[in-house]
Amino acid sequence: MKRFLTIISLLLYTGFILTGQSSDPFVSKCVMNTGNEAKYLKDFRIQLGKAAEQNDLRYKANMSLWKNTKYRFTMCSAEDSKGQLILSIKDDANKVILSSYDKKTGKTYPFVDFVCNKSGIYKLNYDFTDGQQGSGVGVVSMVK
Amino acid sequence: MAMKGNITLLTILFILCFSCRNSSTKETEFVFPEADSIPQSEAEKLSPEAIEDISRNISSPVEIANLLQMLEVPFSSQYLASSIDANKENTTFDKALKLGILGADLGYLNMYEKTGSSLDLLSSIRKLAEDIRVGQFFDFEMIKRLSQNRSSLDSLLYISIDSYEQIDSYLRTNGRGQLSALMIIGVWIEGQYLATQVVDKYPDKILSDRIGEQKIILNDLLLLITPFCNNSPEFSSLCKDLYALKDNYRDIRIIYTQGEPVASEKEGGLVITQTETSIVEMSEAQLKGLIEITSEIRNRLILND
Repeated sequence: MKRFLTIISLLLYTGFILTGQSSDPFVSKCVMNTGNEAKYLKDFRIQLGKAAEQNDLRYKANMSLWKNTKYRFTMCSAEDSKGQLILSIKDDANKVILSSYDKKTGKTYPFVDFVCNKSGIYKLNYDFTDGQQGSGVGVVSMVK
Repeated sequence: MAMKGNITLLTILFILCFSCRNSSTKETEFVFPEADSIPQSEAEKLSPEAIEDISRNISSPVEIANLLQMLEVPFSSQYLASSIDANKENTTFDKALKLGILGADLGYLNMYEKTGSSLDLLSSIRKLAEDIRVGQFFDFEMIKRLSQNRSSLDSLLYISIDSYEQIDSYLRTNGRGQLSALMIIGVWIEGQYLATQVVDKYPDKILSDRIGEQKIILNDLLLLITPFCNNSPEFSSLCKDLYALKDNYRDIRIIYTQGEPVASEKEGGLVITQTETSIVEMSEAQLKGLIEITSEIRNRLILND
């Protein structure tokens, strides 16, 4: 029994190490699709179930954005997602700065370039269209 | 088709404008919270999510290096913390802090594609990471391979930054938040050192503004480190340094002006240009003060005991 537990522990430990070392191929693929001139900064990995009701975008994160920088926000949805990954950014006063989704026409943009002229901490909100279930990644890069 | 595109664009502009209707047209200003020091209890109340947000907010050294490239500032190895000897670091405090400092240097080298120097640096990073038992998150062989391949800068940045984020997350979720805080502070101090050294040699308004704007981040850094300020004399000393830096920032003003975002479409994507601005009001003497204190703190931190 003790030997069995030791083997299980070793397998879990090895598995953990391997998980720690490998970078997600889906994220890598999304990073590679941001364009030749884009330089990777961060990514947000999002996995959401179907929303009970559609209110605010559900995945929230903060990020500092700096003046005189052009950022590219790229959204990639996994194939089995029911909706498309969308992004909305608000400033510290909760004012909407950009949205990659036009609710009226249903159009989603796969990427948004943001020419930042006001340094500060911004709220990034991600979700899937119509509060659908899905998984995806939002990549933030800098472009010239 | 073009008509549909125009309607979409108009709708987005309408939403953006509508969202701005209630915003004030007055100028606003960023100020530090009133108390001189952050109460220990306030810092300890921070949720894991808030701490994660703070660690994500720290200005990336890659962004500083990108700005330097944009300003056509030539690369210089003089700015690197070459005196750090990973074999001579004895405490976990020093190892975590220097892991952060070298991470910032790695970002600078990667952006300038100085792959030869980055291989030496990688060995030091590997040693420090293994010493604090987070070496498993750093894919050294992959980073080494990508460093030698000049066409894969984006992959190199992704793997390097992702490795540091995994280390940070692992430390925070495994009861070693103090090491995560040290690593993040190390990254930030080195980025700040790089920017201040460059501006001293190549004065530039955009760069000095970026240095002044770090006021926005400094309070978050203090929130991150405050719960550990009484952990050891080393922590107390680092906290004292950061509070001294905060004093230097106190009278530097960041003013915000209002404006409406402008939207257009390009190559299937949306382009938003912000017309709101942040303006830094900082005198020559204030900048000089920041250059001096940053250099003093950073040079003391990289000394080998």
